[in-house]
Amino acid sequence: MRLTEDHAKAFLGSRGLPVPAGARAASPGEAEALALKLGGRVVVKALVPTGRRGKAGAVRICADPAAASEAATAMIGCDVAGHTVEAVYVEAAVPIARELYLSFAFADRAPVVLASLEGGVDIEETAGRAPSAIARHEIDPLDGLAPWHGVDLWARAGMTGRPLAALGRLASELYAAFVAADGLMLELNPIALDAEGKPHLVGAMLEVDDDALDRQPAFKALAAGLPAKNPREQAVIDANRSHPGGDSRYTELDGDIGLLVAGGGAGLLQHDMILAMGGRPANHSDMSPAPGTAKLEAVLGSILSNPRTRSLLIGYNYLQMAPCDLVIQALVNVVRAKGIDTTRLPIVIRLYGPREAEARALAATLPGTEYLPFGAPLEEGCRRIVARTRELAR
Amino acid sequence: MTILIDRTTRVLVQGITGNQGRFDTKLALAYGVDIVAGVTPGRGGEQVEGVPVFDTVARAVAETGANAATLYVPVRGIREAVCEAVEAGIKVVLATTENVPRHDAVGAAAYARRHGAWLVGFNTNGIISPGQCKLGGIGGDDPAAVYHPGRIGVVSRSGGMSAEIAWALKRAGRGVSTVVSMGGDRTTGRSMVEYLELFDADPATDAMVIYGEPGTRHEQGVADAIAAGRITKPVVAIVVGEFQERYGAGVSFGHVAAMIAGVDDTATAKRRILADAGAHVVGGLDAIAVTLDRAGV
Repeated sequence: MRLTEDHAKAFLGSRGLPVPAGARAASPGEAEALALKLGGRVVVKALVPTGRRGKAGAVRICADPAAASEAATAMIGCDVAGHTVEAVYVEAAVPIARELYLSFAFADRAPVVLASLEGGVDIEETAGRAPSAIARHEIDPLDGLAPWHGVDLWARAGMTGRPLAALGRLASELYAAFVAADGLMLELNPIALDAEGKPHLVGAMLEVDDDALDRQPAFKALAAGLPAKNPREQAVIDANRSHPGGDSRYTELDGDIGLLVAGGGAGLLQHDMILAMGGRPANHSDMSPAPGTAKLEAVLGSILSNPRTRSLLIGYNYLQMAPCDLVIQALVNVVRAKGIDTTRLPIVIRLYGPREAEARALAATLPGTEYLPFGAPLEEGCRRIVARTRELAR
Repeated sequence: MTILIDRTTRVLVQGITGNQGRFDTKLALAYGVDIVAGVTPGRGGEQVEGVPVFDTVARAVAETGANAATLYVPVRGIREAVCEAVEAGIKVVLATTENVPRHDAVGAAAYARRHGAWLVGFNTNGIISPGQCKLGGIGGDDPAAVYHPGRIGVVSRSGGMSAEIAWALKRAGRGVSTVVSMGGDRTTGRSMVEYLELFDADPATDAMVIYGEPGTRHEQGVADAIAAGRITKPVVAIVVGEFQERYGAGVSFGHVAAMIAGVDDTATAKRRILADAGAHVVGGLDAIAVTLDRAGV
């Protein structure tokens, strides 16, 4: 989950880090009042969880409260990188002598910190133009980032002289904040140095690990307030919350073949093959083992409620643990509850493993349903569902 | 020989008194795995399926000489459970837990590596050397139905695909030395290339099959090792998830790892990188055995 700037800065400020004074304003009037309180000269920024706002005209320096009101009027209601601006962030303008860049993210097996003296621009741009301008350090999570590691990092980025000690300590404290927040990404762009060489965190973006929200109650509360998704995607998320076991996932797409696929990998492979055969999935899904049929029914319910869905492939890898009949019981339950005529909505099943005979007997109660013979490869299920869906079009 | 586990492996199960731990233990014992101890704090002195339970890993190791561990531990305790096993001297630690918070995952992986232990996972259904040993639920109640002993090593990011690959090899009259579900989470204890290096040094393995997905630098590491001559045996690679490139950045399609993070870690880029380095990139499961035949394996 990516936090908006107000929440990211409130978090960093609460740890004593040098964040300029600022707050959220939901109207031009609020922006004007805030600007007055902050001393007149402010920066107004659109509150959307994305970078690159400067280029989109979503960051404005305002000389006085009236200008702050104007800026808020111009931004609120606009679209910035696919997000509708509902509020702005109003912040005291910091006198900037120099702009730096610092970020924390993850490589496959370790956190990585990047530093550059070229702040205020896209790091991708810097990486393309002058890769040597970026210093990189892989952090050993058992040792953390000590202030002297930070000093070394900034020195390699080219920093010299007085600001070096403060910047090294700042990097160390920011890494501690990154860990405390369960951050996946923390980008400070820019860090402004004022005339005395003191750093200020002018740009701050924080993405929090969704898998860690259970121990981050403050961020979890923010996640609960995010706008609801498509109701069928939301139904699957709700089922995950209220039932135990592995999470299931459901993402809607623009095709017409419903996909109930499992085990991550087999689902990816089948989706690739269906596209290669000229089919168009109506969704992607991924089922992790869970007791009972509740999560299966939630995903099947969403697939079969999607108005685009015209057929259904149940394509599992060879099951090693979970019983096959659980899947088909969920299918039968959903088909009956929705009163679906399976002679008009083709269903192809590729499902082998424990309790397969029971699963086949259940599937036989759904007329027109095609359960592939034992041993048919994943590819065969894809071929059959693409063919059956194509026949419908005629 | 095989890699990581064989008929001499003495297995310990952390979380043996939970549903999954109990169930998998029963199936593993039926397969002939030498499960010598279980660990659940507060349950020391009990037995599960005839296996003695201890309060700590250190006590279990002292009493039984266990040298590999399978962990059925919930997310909130998984980092500590890995560290406990490693500190007790366990050298192969398999962590089945999925969706482990990133900071915990990298911490546990670093701890295991620093102490010379091999962490398999996170988000793995197991590792199997057919007919000799297995850790985790891999193979379920009938591992022999899919995992046939032979001379091909398999490393897969997906447990389900481990089964499909081994089964496709079996149907083609081949078998496997060891199959590793290395873990589907973004952070895994070891990288794909580290497993290939073990297989490359294993006299009982003639060639390797890898299965990869979008995200991570695993395939880049494999390609670099092949190009540098550190991997000399044939490598057949299947990389899927190309469809994600049609739907744009940032859309998650299931596996935590399978998220588009940049151009270079797409399925298309990975296939190209591997093919350029000399791996045999195939588009489907049935092509694996055909390709091995052609490569003279």
